Amino acid sequence: MEVMMLLVYDQPGVMQRVMGEFNRKRINVETIVVGKCEMADKARIVLSIKDREKAMSVLEHLRALHEVIDADLVEQERHEAYALLFSKEGVCRVTGTVEEVDSIVGKSKPERYIQAMNAI
Amino acid sequence: MKGARAAVELLEEQNVKVMFGIPGGVLLQFYDELVQSDIRHILVRHEQCAGHMADGFARVSKRPGVCIATSGPGATNLVTGVATAYMDSSPMVAITGQVATNVLGNDAFQEADAFSLMMPITKHNFRVTDPKEFPETLKKAFLIATTGRYGPVHIDIPVDIFSADITDEQMSKEVRVPKPKRNLTGLLDALKLLENAERPTIMVGGGVTWSQAGGDIMRLAEMLMCPVVTTLMAKGSVPENHPLVLGVCGMHGRQVANYALNNCDVLLAIGTRFSDRVTGKLSEFGTKTKVVHVDIDSSEIGKNVKGRVGLVGDAWTVVNALIAGMQQRKKAPTWKQKMLDLNKQCSCDYDLTSEPLKPQKVIHELSKHLPEDAIITTEVGQNQMWALHFFKCYGKRQFITSGGLGTMGFGFPAALGAKVAAPDRVVADIAGDGSLQMVIQEFATAMENDLPVVIALLDNGWLGNVKQWQKLFYGERYIATKFGRNPDFVKLAEAYGAEALRVERPSEVAEAIQRGVKAEVPMLLDFIVDPEEDVLPMLPPGKSSGDCIKGRCRWKGGVC
Repeated sequence: MEVMMLLVYDQPGVMQRVMGEFNRKRINVETIVVGKCEMADKARIVLSIKDREKAMSVLEHLRALHEVIDADLVEQERHEAYALLFSKEGVCRVTGTVEEVDSIVGKSKPERYIQAMNAI
Repeated sequence: MKGARAAVELLEEQNVKVMFGIPGGVLLQFYDELVQSDIRHILVRHEQCAGHMADGFARVSKRPGVCIATSGPGATNLVTGVATAYMDSSPMVAITGQVATNVLGNDAFQEADAFSLMMPITKHNFRVTDPKEFPETLKKAFLIATTGRYGPVHIDIPVDIFSADITDEQMSKEVRVPKPKRNLTGLLDALKLLENAERPTIMVGGGVTWSQAGGDIMRLAEMLMCPVVTTLMAKGSVPENHPLVLGVCGMHGRQVANYALNNCDVLLAIGTRFSDRVTGKLSEFGTKTKVVHVDIDSSEIGKNVKGRVGLVGDAWTVVNALIAGMQQRKKAPTWKQKMLDLNKQCSCDYDLTSEPLKPQKVIHELSKHLPEDAIITTEVGQNQMWALHFFKCYGKRQFITSGGLGTMGFGFPAALGAKVAAPDRVVADIAGDGSLQMVIQEFATAMENDLPVVIALLDNGWLGNVKQWQKLFYGERYIATKFGRNPDFVKLAEAYGAEALRVERPSEVAEAIQRGVKAEVPMLLDFIVDPEEDVLPMLPPGKSSGDCIKGRCRWKGGVC
């Protein structure tokens, strides 16, 4: 899994333009987190995609976009996941590595749960 | 001042002398301000042609062409013109009107999401929703279109922006865009490869046309003692009567050019993206070749051809850096001599006298009788490929064609745009009957604006290129390629007030062209050509050079 971080202007249409590059190159985004950041009027996009070669192929195209200030791959240590487990006692929130979360979900046999893989 | 006034003043400030377009409801305020402006507005008959005219204008003047269309259908009609400019890296500022910001997204009358439609086919685009930002947005658009790799920029302007108040302070705001990156760290590696090459070849692409580096490239070629091949987009950037220039390579290129491309040991590729129409089967292209790839756009380096030395910068700068750094080339000039000999042998049979009239004959006569500073545009299809192969571009001749998008109907409006940019030069569109019928209404624009261009129509009654593929690859099962009922093109042109001539005999071709060159109104030359004639030689798509279909081609230089 490759994690990519982009610094972009915080305005309407930016996500569409950035995602357009992934769309054109038929790259599926596994996870994406976007939000305002420590710099005014700028936002940070953190996303992950599976294939390193594809990640490299899209990077220069992203950098060429006028609303993208910076784009690069970041080193990531582990694959995160989180889950919400629902039971009679209430809702339990679990975070950790993919393996840890899988194992807790498996052991606790909740009535119902939702899980997000590859969180970043 | 009001936004509409500001828009006109900003365009004047950008030195815009002419714009192409059609007004509409949301543009009325803007057009009202144009009444008092010196900007020449050329009213087209279809927005797509406003795009192509601005594109043709840009390719001649090397300045951004400006086109404008109203919201909704105006914007969607403009899309093809903008996409064509995008694929060929032509600088353009495309303006569309939009419904008012307070109803945006509500399916208002004549609303289309032009901002989203244009996004993937522009270098950048804007939707102005805050009048404060309007002046700087317009300035930025021109700057982006002409910084680094050229390209179209689109601005979507809601109608209320035209009536909003703009302050002087907003008008005078300075804008900046990031400078294009330059990376010449590979220069020494590139020089070493070129100096030690046994069989070097230079391939030039559209980037060279835009940076006008042809003269410098010929100097480098003479230093390297190597041949130069061009892509379709670079035709005309280097003189085709120079013995080292082998002409256009690729699917319908000259055999000697493909030979050089596939037998060189070091390829210096400048301003080209290695299109599939050039390389055939990518996996087999240049397997024996080391590639030095020069491009202004860093994202092009390594996109289609892997394993190379990349130099990021504009063609002119990099070529001059190579010239400055070049020491003596080490190997003996046997390769150069071989290519000069092969180039002489690669002479085509134009079939000059047989009937029915052959399209090659028409191109040959055009080549002979058009002045040395003529501007040639083409449509897309067989007409374009015959022009590519048989027309000779040298001197100040310029060749304008839709290479990347392959837009039928491009040539005629592009010729009109070119004529606006260079009224004193002869402009000729090499056309096909399929392409011309897509834009034939622009005869009205040509007449109204006094734009006497020559249309050399290669009229074979078919969508010829598609027919050729049906013939060669689909067992002659023809469908939807024959025009059962073509109009009388001569009468049609005359109905618009243009001059027209039908030509059926080889002996009449030269005189017709000479009449066209002298004509003071647009002139249509309806050449009735042999419908059985194919564009050959042809490298079938996805095949490598050994599988070339030669036809009349007399090439004996071996597998290329």
